[in-house]
Amino acid sequence: STEGRVLDKRRLQELVKEVDPLEQLDEDVEEVLLQIADDFIESVVSSSCLVCKHRHSNTLEVKDVQLHLERNWNMWIPGFGSDEIKP
Amino acid sequence: GSQIRSCKDEQFLHHGPLMQRISAMARKHGIDDVSSNVINLVSHATQERLKDLVSRLSTLAEHRVEIYKI
Repeated sequence: STEGRVLDKRRLQELVKEVDPLEQLDEDVEEVLLQIADDFIESVVSSSCLVCKHRHSNTLEVKDVQLHLERNWNMWIPGFGSDEIKP
Repeated sequence: GSQIRSCKDEQFLHHGPLMQRISAMARKHGIDDVSSNVINLVSHATQERLKDLVSRLSTLAEHRVEIYKI
């Protein structure tokens, strides 16, 4: 069911069009991408929670997620302040 | 004077369900609070992850060799 889904196929299609306007996705490829998105969220959030616990905090903060994204995915999302963990 | 120009930050993932999922996972780790920007950041990161994948897939598809039998 699509109830409670964080991502739907329409938004996925929009993203694909952004990357390549001529690209077409098979339906089963869409399903796999939705699953990959789910798994990614799961992995990022649980690792970020471990970072949060490590600094003995009870509040999951942007810096916890940023640290994980940068170390494990080499990903830096701009616009969230706290440049302190950048070298 | 200085001028700030910005555009509205559109969320890629649905805010409500994403917030529920993140809060539930945090609770499992014994974390009671989730800073509101975390939801937004996870949404952006997921968007980046998918964009990267889709552009790789697109390149791969162009290199695929199809053999047609006549």
